[in-house]
Amino acid sequence: MSDVDEILNGAAFHLLLFSVGGICFGAETGQVTEIAVYNGEKGEDLFWFHEEMGYAGKTVTYQSPVIVTIKSGTASPYRVIIDSMEDITEFSQSDITLFPPLLEPFVLRRGLWGLLPQQERIVLLLDFQRLLREKSAGKSI
Amino acid sequence: MEQSEEPLKSELILNELKKRQRTKDVVDVEEERVKVIFFTCGENRYAFYGTDIREILPASDISWVPGLPDYLPGLINVRGDIESVIDLRYFLGEEKGDHLKHLIAMAVRGDFHSGVMIDSIEDVIDIPVSAIGPPLATLNGAARDLVIGAIEYDAKTIPLLGVGKLANLITI
Repeated sequence: MSDVDEILNGAAFHLLLFSVGGICFGAETGQVTEIAVYNGEKGEDLFWFHEEMGYAGKTVTYQSPVIVTIKSGTASPYRVIIDSMEDITEFSQSDITLFPPLLEPFVLRRGLWGLLPQQERIVLLLDFQRLLREKSAGKSI
Repeated sequence: MEQSEEPLKSELILNELKKRQRTKDVVDVEEERVKVIFFTCGENRYAFYGTDIREILPASDISWVPGLPDYLPGLINVRGDIESVIDLRYFLGEEKGDHLKHLIAMAVRGDFHSGVMIDSIEDVIDIPVSAIGPPLATLNGAARDLVIGAIEYDAKTIPLLGVGKLANLITI
C-alpha cells in the first residue's frame, strides 16, 4: 500500500508548521531533507519563501528564518528560507478541507493544495515539490 | 310574521368584502413578486435577488492567501465551512475599502457559492417582477457585465446585479 493510500485510509501524516508574514503554512515533512538556521548566506539555489509564493506588494519581515532543503528530484537542491517554524504535528486526512473551487486554480499554481482550519486560523497546506514544478514550468514557457 | 326578503345589511357587507378579497387574490396571483436586497458598495447602491443571498455575515477577518488576484481577497471560516470572498468593488469600479469594515453577503446560485464583500444593507423588500426594468444603457465598464436589470427605488434607479453573471465573470 502506498503512502497516499495509507493517508487516504486514515493514516496520520506529519506536517512542518511555519508562518511567513503572519500566514501559517503546513508542509509534509517527507519532502524536507534538512532544516538549518539561516545565517545570511546567499546562493543561486536559495530562495526567500515570500518571493517564491508571490507576496505581491506585501512587506514581509522574517523573525527567525531557517532554511529548509526540499527533495527536488534533480541534482541541485531546492532550498527555501522560511520563518517562525512552529512544530511538526500529526494530522489525518479527515482534518483536511479543500480550497473553495473558485480559488483552487490560482492556489495550485503556488503549490497550495488544501486547508487545515484551526480554532483561530487557517493553515495553508503547501506542496514544495509542486511549487518547484510550477516554477520550472513557468520558466520554460 | 313574514320575514322581509330584503338582504340583511351585514350580508351585503360580507358579500362585498368577499368579492373584494377574491379580486385581491386574483391580483396577488397575477402579480408575481420577488425579494430584492438593496445594499451599498463604495459610493453607490445596488441590488441582488434575495434568493441569491443565503445570509449576511458581519465583518470578519479574511485570511489572505498568496497567489490570488486582487478581486479575491481570501478565505473566511463560516461555522467550520471555508468560503472564498469576492471584492465586488473591483468589478463595479468603486474605490478599494477596508476589509475589516465590510459585511459579507453569502451568494449562492447553482454550484456557485462565495462570500461577496458589501458595505451595508439598505433594505430588503418584495417587489412585483414587473418593477424590474432592463439594465440602463448608460452603464459602462465592468459593472455592465454584472447588471441584469434596474429597479426604481427611493426615487433612484438601482442596478440589479446577477450572481450568475458574477460567477461567469470569475470562473471563465
